[in-house]
Amino acid sequence: MPVSNATAWGQLPDGRPLHRWTLRNARGEQVDISDLGATLLSWQTPDRFGRLGDVVLGHADAQQYIASNAYMGAVVGRWANRIRGGRFRLDGIDYKVDRNDGGNHLHGGHDGFHLQRWEVEPEADGLVLRLVSPEGDGGFPGEVHVQLRVRLEDDGTLDLRYEATSDAPTPLSLTAHPYFNLNDRRPDIRDHVIRIDADEFLAIDAGAIPVGRQHVSGTAFDFREPAPIGSRLHWPDPQLRLVGGFDHCYLPRGPAGGVVRTVAVVTEPSSGRRLTIDTDRPGLQFYSGQKLTGQAGRQGDTYGPFAGFALEAQAFPDQVNGPEADGAILRPGNVWRQHTRYRVDTP
Amino acid sequence: MTPHRIALLFNANKVYDRQVIAGIGHYLNSTRVEWDLFMEEDFRSRMRDIQQFRGDGVIADFDDPEAPDALRDLHIPVVAVGGSYHDPASYPVGIPYIATDNARLVRLAYDHLIEQGLARFAFYGIPPHPGSRWAQEREHAFRAIVDDEAVEAVVYDGASTSAGGWGEAVEELVAWLAALPKPIGIIAVTDARARQLLQACVIGEFAVPEQIAIVGIDNDPMAQLLTRIPLTSVIQGAEEMGRTAAHLLHQMLRGVDCSGTRVLVPPVGINVQVSSRYQPVRSPHVMRASHYIRQYGCLGIKTEQVADYVGVSRTVLEEHFKRELKQTVHQVILKHKLDTACDLIANSDTPLADIALRCGFTSLQYMYTVFRREYDCTPRQYLDLHRKPMAT
Repeated sequence: MPVSNATAWGQLPDGRPLHRWTLRNARGEQVDISDLGATLLSWQTPDRFGRLGDVVLGHADAQQYIASNAYMGAVVGRWANRIRGGRFRLDGIDYKVDRNDGGNHLHGGHDGFHLQRWEVEPEADGLVLRLVSPEGDGGFPGEVHVQLRVRLEDDGTLDLRYEATSDAPTPLSLTAHPYFNLNDRRPDIRDHVIRIDADEFLAIDAGAIPVGRQHVSGTAFDFREPAPIGSRLHWPDPQLRLVGGFDHCYLPRGPAGGVVRTVAVVTEPSSGRRLTIDTDRPGLQFYSGQKLTGQAGRQGDTYGPFAGFALEAQAFPDQVNGPEADGAILRPGNVWRQHTRYRVDTP
Repeated sequence: MTPHRIALLFNANKVYDRQVIAGIGHYLNSTRVEWDLFMEEDFRSRMRDIQQFRGDGVIADFDDPEAPDALRDLHIPVVAVGGSYHDPASYPVGIPYIATDNARLVRLAYDHLIEQGLARFAFYGIPPHPGSRWAQEREHAFRAIVDDEAVEAVVYDGASTSAGGWGEAVEELVAWLAALPKPIGIIAVTDARARQLLQACVIGEFAVPEQIAIVGIDNDPMAQLLTRIPLTSVIQGAEEMGRTAAHLLHQMLRGVDCSGTRVLVPPVGINVQVSSRYQPVRSPHVMRASHYIRQYGCLGIKTEQVADYVGVSRTVLEEHFKRELKQTVHQVILKHKLDTACDLIANSDTPLADIALRCGFTSLQYMYTVFRREYDCTPRQYLDLHRKPMAT
C-alpha cells in the first residue's frame, strides 16, 4: 500500500483537526505530507550506503509549523516571494495586499496557503490536495481554486503538479518551500555542491526586491559549473552582503511555461546523495538558509544558520510590478498549471 | 585596452595544480576577461626572478615556502593559493588567500571510513618538510578528529620517497601495516602515498579492503593507473579554487581591496572505489539486525519489525542480508527458530508442542513442515537421534 491512511497530527487554533499521510515507493523511501499548508514534513531517502535519512528540515509538531515564519516544507501562495510595498495595479485597479516582510508582501501574507488546511484525497500512487482561497484572501482579488497532485515515484522523484482557476483576474505564483539538507548527519549545508543552469539572476535591493537582470559571469552567482555553496559566500560580492548569502531568483535556461527542464542539481559528497530539480517555471529562487537560526527542529533541537537551503520554482519576485506582469496573472476561463519535480538519488 | 599581464606561479606537473589552472581558465572563458598569461616550464626559476616581472598581477602557489618572501615586495596584486591552516597566524598577512580546506578533506575521508563500519583508523602521512605543510595540516586534522571522538588511531609518516632507501622504506611500511590491529581504515595524505600503501598491502598480503581499507586524497588518475585495486579518493575543489583566485585578482585589478579575503574551499566529492569498500562479515545493519533476531527471533517477528529496529527500509535490509549473508532476513529468522528448537529438543525435556510455540512456530504441524523441508526429518526423528537422557 503506497499511501497510508490519514494519521491525526494536531489541530488548528480554531480546533479543526490536522492530519499527515505517508507515501512510499518501491525503494522503501517515504514522504510525509500534512494537510496543514500541504507541507512536506519529511522525506526519507537512502544515502550511498543504503541508510535512510531525512533530506528536508522539519519542526516537531503542527503547533511549531503554525508559529514558525520559515514556511518550512509548505506550499506557499497566492504569491510566492515578494511584492514591492504590497501593491500592484491590475486592469486599472490598485490593490494592496498584506505587507508582512519589512513593508513588502511575502509568500501570501499573514494567512498564506502555508497556514491553511487543505482538503486531501489519497489516490493509488499519491495525494491530491485542494484549497479554495476566497476573494480578498491576503488582499488578492478573485476566488481561487487550487489543486496539487503529489506522487512519489520509484526513481526517487517527488512529482508536483499544480492547477488553479480563478473567478477574477489575480496574480498567482505557487511554490513548494522545502529546505533541503542532503546529509542528515551534518547540521550545515555549506559543503553541498550546487549547479544552477542559469546565465542570469535578478539582482536585488536591500529589501530583497529585484532591481534588474544580471549576468552570472564573473560573479559569485555563476553556478553553471558545480561549486560548493559555502566557499562562494566568502566572495566579495555586494549582492551577497545585502542579504547575508544567497536569496536570489535565477532565470534558468530554456523555455519557460509548459516545458519541464532541469534547472539545478545539488550533490552532497559525504552521503553521496544528489538532488535534481526540474520545472517549467521561469524563476528559481535559491536561498542558502542564512536566517534559519533559532528555528525549531524535529527533536527539540534548534537549527542554526545554513541548516538547509531552498530551491523554489516560481514566477519572478515582484513580477506583477514589472514589464512581464501579464505573465503572472491568472484570468477567469484559464487554467494555471505548474509542473515541478524534485528527485533525490545516489548516482 | 591591452590585456593585463598575469603570472601564474604553479608547478603544473601535479594534477591539483593543473586543476587550479583549469579553474582560472574557466573563469577567464566565462567572463571573456583577456589576460596575457605567463607560465613557465620551470616555475621555480620564475619564482626567484619574479621581482623582474613587468606585469599586472600574480596568482601563486603559496605551498611553495619561497613564495611569501619572493612576492613580498612586489607592488602588484597577488592572490595566494595554498592549503588551509588550523592556526590563523600561519596565513600570509595582507594577501587574499584561497585554500583547499585540509580539515574538511580529512573529515570527508574519515566519515567515509566510519560509514563503512570501521572502528579503527590510521593516517599515513609524509615526513615534515617545508614544501608540504599541507601534509602536516592534514595530519593535524586527523589527530584532532580522533582525539575529539576518542577513537583508536595511529599516525605514521614513514620515509620520504627516494630511490635509494626505497626498499627499506617499503619493508618498514609493511612492518607497520603488519603491526596494526585489523580491520582498519587508513587515510593516506595523498593518492601517491595511498598507492604506496596498496603496494605494501600486496607485498605483506593484507586483504584490501577486508583487512585494510584505504582512502587517498587528490583523485589522481595517475595513481588509479598504477594500482591494481581501484583507489577511493577525496576530490579537492581545485577548479573552484582557481575560479575563486581568478575572480579575486579580477576584482583587485579593478581596484577592489581584497587583502583580507580568505576563502576555504571544501572537497567537492569522493570517488568511491574498491579500496574502501570494506565488507565486514557483518555490516552494521546486519550486525544490528542479527542482534535483534537473537533476542526476539522466537517471538514471531517478521522482516518488517527487524527493519524498523535497524532503522532502514525492508528493501535496504534485504539487500544487505543478501550481499553479506546470501540469505533473506526471513531465512535468518527461520534459521534462528530452528536452531533454538534443535537446542531445546536435544537439551531439554520440553514436549515438542511446547517447543514449537516457544520457538515462534504457529503450530506443531508447521514446525514439522519446516523440519522436513530444512532437515529432511521430523522433529520426532531429530529428538530420537539427539535428545540426551535427562539427569534425574
